[in-house]
Amino acid sequence: MSLKTSFLGLTLQSPVLIASGPASHDVNQVRVAEEQNAGAIVLKTACSDKFAHMRSWPRPRYKLLDWDKQIEGRSKMFSLYSYEQGYSGTLDDYWELISACKKHAALPVIGSIFADEAKDWIDMAKRVEQCGADAIELDISSPHRPGSLAFETTFVAAINGVVGAVRIPVLVKLGPGPEVLPQCLIAQENGASAVTLCNRLRGFDVDIESQRPILHGYFAGIGGPWAKYYTMRHVAEAANTITIPISATGGVLSGEDVIKYMLLGASTVQILSVIMVNGWESVKRINNEIEEYMQRKKINSLEEIRGKALSAMVSPDEIIRWSGESKRGSRNLWKEGTEN
Amino acid sequence: MSSEGSKYPGLRPLPPDFVRDFPPLALVVEDKCIACDRCPPLCFFDAIVMEARPRHKFKRTAIVIPDNCTGCGLCFEACPVDAFVWEPDKDIGKGPSKAAEKTERDLGV
Repeated sequence: MSLKTSFLGLTLQSPVLIASGPASHDVNQVRVAEEQNAGAIVLKTACSDKFAHMRSWPRPRYKLLDWDKQIEGRSKMFSLYSYEQGYSGTLDDYWELISACKKHAALPVIGSIFADEAKDWIDMAKRVEQCGADAIELDISSPHRPGSLAFETTFVAAINGVVGAVRIPVLVKLGPGPEVLPQCLIAQENGASAVTLCNRLRGFDVDIESQRPILHGYFAGIGGPWAKYYTMRHVAEAANTITIPISATGGVLSGEDVIKYMLLGASTVQILSVIMVNGWESVKRINNEIEEYMQRKKINSLEEIRGKALSAMVSPDEIIRWSGESKRGSRNLWKEGTEN
Repeated sequence: MSSEGSKYPGLRPLPPDFVRDFPPLALVVEDKCIACDRCPPLCFFDAIVMEARPRHKFKRTAIVIPDNCTGCGLCFEACPVDAFVWEPDKDIGKGPSKAAEKTERDLGV
């Protein structure tokens, strides 16, 4: 029995990846992730120079909403509300970071970039490859990116251009909606090696005492354990149609959540907010929980269960339906004038 | 403006002008700290460590390393006794540190 997972031509120690964010912006974190037996790490997203302002962050910029801090991180429902945009260093710092990660850790490293014009996407992707990254994730859907979260036509050129310019696998991280499948198909048609589903939503919250928006005063990225339910729907829908692998992300707190994503067709799962609330040890715990499940179900490789739940999924036409309102129980007696 | 009963107690000591005029930095009120060890692992910038305080009720306290603190506010979420407050960051003129360089140094390579 092994957690070893084949993904994008790499053999990962575990299907559990560290998602791009505050847990992947320096070399020490990559080493910690490796010690914790994570499968790979997606580095914090670097923005092109045009978006240099996104490298400076507001203070404060993190808030756990509906979070009960008295129970030591055991809460199963909360929301992570944040506005930490890109990697805080320059692009040169980012290239150094990737090189340093490869030098000091054996963990597969996935670079993550954001830009607007195809030329910038391609130039950055080439550098990410040169620095030794094992793959690259195109973060076209960050809740923090400027403008609307619509899938823009420039992204097609970006995906297409990057795929043609680098030899390393290209993941495309897609937003959570409203329709994700068409975006998956576009990514696949343009040569993406895999899709990451889904980025966080863009949300907003207000403090009723000060009567002002909380934190920096603008919309923020919002996700949390509740996010897994809509992501599971998107993963299932995509897995039924596309042929490229899926890296699922959103709301994973336990091994159970990882297994659910796998049963719906995901190859790997990315985690982050669980590390915030339960610490880095969560990675090992989740790995152990997956192993316990594999033992109990007598599974040797996760490949055996990947997409297994999809075969039991039905179309709306096939849903078995029964009548409800036409029953003749006591609550319907008044209809027949038999009161009293 | 009352700070009682707010849903976001961690943000209460931070008036709006503070954000505009002084970048905030987290600070531990050592007398309040109960040495529960929850905040150091939550900090993604290695800005919080536990330090011995022989005279402290719990013999130890969390402290913030100002050079590492980016004022993100996550530690306010970790603290069960609201021992964190904001103070002005006098160091901000230096600009953001180069993460890769810093970690190379930290690793001693």
